[in-house]
Amino acid sequence: MQTRSSTYLNEAVAIWFRDLRSEFRTRYALNAILMFAVTTLIAVSFSIGSFRIEEAERPFLYSVLLWIILTFSALSGLSRSFVKEEEAGTIDVLKLSARPQAVFFGKLLFNLTLLGALELIIVPSFIFLMAYQINFPGFFVAMIISGGLGLGAGTTIIAAMIARASTRGALFSVLSLPLLLPLMITCIKGCERAAIGIHSAGWPEVKIAVAYVIIMVVMSLFLFPLIWEE
Amino acid sequence: MFTLKVSGIGKHYGETLVFKNISFQLNQGDVLAITGWNGSGKSTLLRIIAGLVKPSTGRVEMFFNADPIPKESRRRFIGMVAPALSLYDELTGLESIEFFCRVRGLACNRNDCLNIIELVGLAEHATKMGREYSSGMKQRLKLAQALLHKPPLLLLDEPATNLDSKGIDVLEQIISNQRQSGMTVIASNEKREADYADTVINLSE
Repeated sequence: MQTRSSTYLNEAVAIWFRDLRSEFRTRYALNAILMFAVTTLIAVSFSIGSFRIEEAERPFLYSVLLWIILTFSALSGLSRSFVKEEEAGTIDVLKLSARPQAVFFGKLLFNLTLLGALELIIVPSFIFLMAYQINFPGFFVAMIISGGLGLGAGTTIIAAMIARASTRGALFSVLSLPLLLPLMITCIKGCERAAIGIHSAGWPEVKIAVAYVIIMVVMSLFLFPLIWEE
Repeated sequence: MFTLKVSGIGKHYGETLVFKNISFQLNQGDVLAITGWNGSGKSTLLRIIAGLVKPSTGRVEMFFNADPIPKESRRRFIGMVAPALSLYDELTGLESIEFFCRVRGLACNRNDCLNIIELVGLAEHATKMGREYSSGMKQRLKLAQALLHKPPLLLLDEPATNLDSKGIDVLEQIISNQRQSGMTVIASNEKREADYADTVINLSE
């Protein structure tokens, strides 16, 4: 068989599409993430609603609640990308077929797709159910997108690290939280400022979140081959 | 011309020694059988050659036209079939082969994939989901996956497992064809599989 010019992107896209196809047929990760997110959102909206919090406190508290829902929903399902390869015994055939960096990018793209779907469903629902007023929508959307990218980058490398551990569920949360905490704090602050309508030149929180994404991806590119080939 | 050189390979888990000081060299056309009792390390030795497990001692080297092949490039030269190596249950046989084609960067279209599936006798079942395959059909699909990129080194761990007589014929044909284009290492306890080989290494001795 002739070998065509294989790029990391081609390989990563092949892995991304394969994961999407598998997920579309099994809906394992998507169901876990959405069930957690919808249940939490409904619980929060019914127990707190839009009227139990003082108006001045809403921007901050709603931002906290939104990012708690998004982060913990992501933690409930994003580890599946690597864990299912380990559990199904397909990890070795993937190691023999694809380059490590391509595997990482393929899994990252898959996790980002899941997170995108989660945010598309949960963020508008949260805004509607909680009557969350946002005075600076552009900044808010940028914060949600950059925060989602950071969440995806952080959880993907941790999912790779814990895939072989016997207590992987607990380990995923324990390792993820300290790594994701700076991102969460930034995203909460950014969404609060977007809700209040405070305009800062250059959207500093978005810049911090984008820097976090770049750092995580670059670090993962160095770290992942070591984890993958161990 | 592809060459495999294994020098002083040993493996231990903690204080448990699995095997030690295994050395051999294979050239094009060679078929080597690795035999031994259960737990003697046959599968581990194959996984070490494939680069999936690190040896405790010794080293595995591969050469193409006498030039050493770096570790990160070796996957292009290796095709492997093993009981612990599974394919995707939620994809059809054809989709699995197409996936491995793309991820390996091979210039193959749907017909090429169908041809390789036909070669292992799965043409009628190409559009069935992996989870609907019997154990023997899964084994055939693993063989198709391993042969897809025409690797010069074929590593077969218990290759006749679950195969019926037609499947055994396919396997014999694959090993025979591989003599023309590369080399084969078979790990097995079955005498018939060891009989395909020119050389036998018994890990129990």
